[in-house]
Amino acid sequence: MEKVLIAFAAALAIGLSALATAWAQSRIGSAGAGALAEKPELSGTVIILVAIPETMVILGFVIATIILTTK
Amino acid sequence: MIVRMSKVEIAGMKELLEDTLEVLREEGIFQIETETVGFIDRAEEEYISTFSMDQKALSEKLLLEDMKVRLEELFSLMPKITTRRSYIEPENIIDTLRRLLPGHIKFLEGLMKKKDLLQRELSELIRYKNFMDAIEPIIGEVEKTEEIDFIGLTIKEPEAIPHLRKLLFKITDGRYELFTNRSSDGTLAGVLITEKRLSEIIRKALRDERIPEITLPSTIEGLTFAERLRIFNEKIEEINRAIQEINSEVQRFTLRWKPLYDRTLEWIDERLSIMKATAHVFETRMCFIIYGWMPSDAVTTLSRRLTERFGGRVTLIEKEIFEEDLERIPVMLKNPPYFQPFEVMVRLLPLPRYGTFDPTPFIGLFFPIFFGMILGDAGYGIVLLCLSIFSLRRFKKKKNLQDVSRIIFICSIYSIFFGILYGEFFGEVGHKLFGLEPICIERRTAVIPMLYFALAVGLFHVLIGLLLGVITGIKKRTKKEAIAKSIDILLIIATVIAVSALCGIIPERFVSPIITLIIILLPVLIITGGLLAPLELIKTIGNIISYARIMAIGLTSVLLAFVANRLAGMTGNIIAGAVVAGLLHLINIILGVFSPAIHSMRLHYVEFFSKFIEPGGRRFEPFRKI
Repeated sequence: MEKVLIAFAAALAIGLSALATAWAQSRIGSAGAGALAEKPELSGTVIILVAIPETMVILGFVIATIILTTK
Repeated sequence: MIVRMSKVEIAGMKELLEDTLEVLREEGIFQIETETVGFIDRAEEEYISTFSMDQKALSEKLLLEDMKVRLEELFSLMPKITTRRSYIEPENIIDTLRRLLPGHIKFLEGLMKKKDLLQRELSELIRYKNFMDAIEPIIGEVEKTEEIDFIGLTIKEPEAIPHLRKLLFKITDGRYELFTNRSSDGTLAGVLITEKRLSEIIRKALRDERIPEITLPSTIEGLTFAERLRIFNEKIEEINRAIQEINSEVQRFTLRWKPLYDRTLEWIDERLSIMKATAHVFETRMCFIIYGWMPSDAVTTLSRRLTERFGGRVTLIEKEIFEEDLERIPVMLKNPPYFQPFEVMVRLLPLPRYGTFDPTPFIGLFFPIFFGMILGDAGYGIVLLCLSIFSLRRFKKKKNLQDVSRIIFICSIYSIFFGILYGEFFGEVGHKLFGLEPICIERRTAVIPMLYFALAVGLFHVLIGLLLGVITGIKKRTKKEAIAKSIDILLIIATVIAVSALCGIIPERFVSPIITLIIILLPVLIITGGLLAPLELIKTIGNIISYARIMAIGLTSVLLAFVANRLAGMTGNIIAGAVVAGLLHLINIILGVFSPAIHSMRLHYVEFFSKFIEPGGRRFEPFRKI
């Protein structure tokens, strides 16, 4: 049972943060594409904006790894 | 690095203005300043005004602009072919060319009009021919009498036929026949046979329904199908020949005149660019004055060139740069050949301000290392190395592609290096084939050590960023900012030591002095950096944790390679296994280029640059030949 709970906790850590990142990137991505259509010189800024929410899933991944590897 | 710029004033006799601008354009190192702020003293303001062109120069400008429009009109009528370069100087024959130009435009327009008419006639003929080809087999057997009339139709939508039949039945009371057949161009051709007395009513109804009727030219009425076909073919051939002749004539004309007109347009653009530049020049009663910016190391060369050319009648003076000028000084980046390709990445962002750091050398140093750490596979590295060498040799003239290829070349070398350290060659293929063993760490199993390694790299990188921020603060003489960043550095190091002590990595006796230090430094941080400074500190710690992506993305890369090999092994067939492994490794290589590149870029743009870069620099745009 404990193993199941550990696996479930790790899955939640990565899954929820991945969903959050995906949602944030979808909103930023569509707005960024709109901005780029009008001002192509903003490409660098848009890359940064799209990349910012990725930290969430990376942190989720780290937490999931720690949950799975800590004895 | 950001090139040191000089604030320059060039002054001389008014009649030498155009020649001076010509010299500046040839040198291509001088940016003309459009604003006078910081250049003209208040006491001098009443003697200096914006340069205004005299009547002669103004009429020349209008004339050249008009000629440019006409030349562009002429080029739009010419085919896009490469011609030789003309070395005739248009300056001497410009009046002759101006007189010739309307005639040449008229000549080409005439030919184009003729060609247009012929093409329209040709498409009509082809339409008739297609219609006849489709219809003749159907109506060939119908007996042609005085009372019967034939109406040709083109039906665009086959779904409209039932509606058409219903309409015809209503008008003719069923006294009609409609035959349809698909013509060679895909449209549906139809012929309607009815009594002559009803044909006018039917034609009107067809017009109302917008079904186009096809009427054959009167010259071929009454001829047999074979004769009509022969006439059509002959006519089509004749028109094609005529179009060909026109094309040849246009080609001959273009080959003869385009080189000269190309050179003329080039010369006109050069003249107009000089004339437009005079709009940013200032004048006194006798002299002209040009204000601007140029690289400091080129000042002596330009000054010498002006003296040699004008014998001291045009002078160059280097002016003092004031603090309020800093915002307006243009930024020019100049880096050693190794770092130059990485300027592509810096150009994606707004330029840094003058007086701050050019981030190019830092990207050049760290980007390939991060890329290599993430991809970390010698096999993939070799593939990328080959691709970059191919691209470097194949696309020699495309500068951006050359830069990107050079970046990939450097990154692939680091990938091979880290691949050897991790013991990876297409996943574990290296181990199986030639017993390749990890030298320092095996990424697939040592997840936590790899995480510590990534965080250590992040700590080092972010601290360098903060240190550069401190130096920028000192250079800008913003002491508070420099102190706040220094305290940030101390607090981060203290936090790392405290966490290490709590985790048992270093002895626990360090904990209490470190925590005391943190408690002392925090108020100083708030005083120097403001109330939001602790929040910034937390953000910086978050930035360091963000470097965990080096481990995370790297782990996915190595696992994908592992899966590719495992799946290939499970097929049980050498050929199928090779195909499966090849495809999966190919996908991994594609991902392996994009993913590490995007994430390494992000680590620089978000985590690193935010510590020391001040965006908002003005791009250096010298006056030069286009």
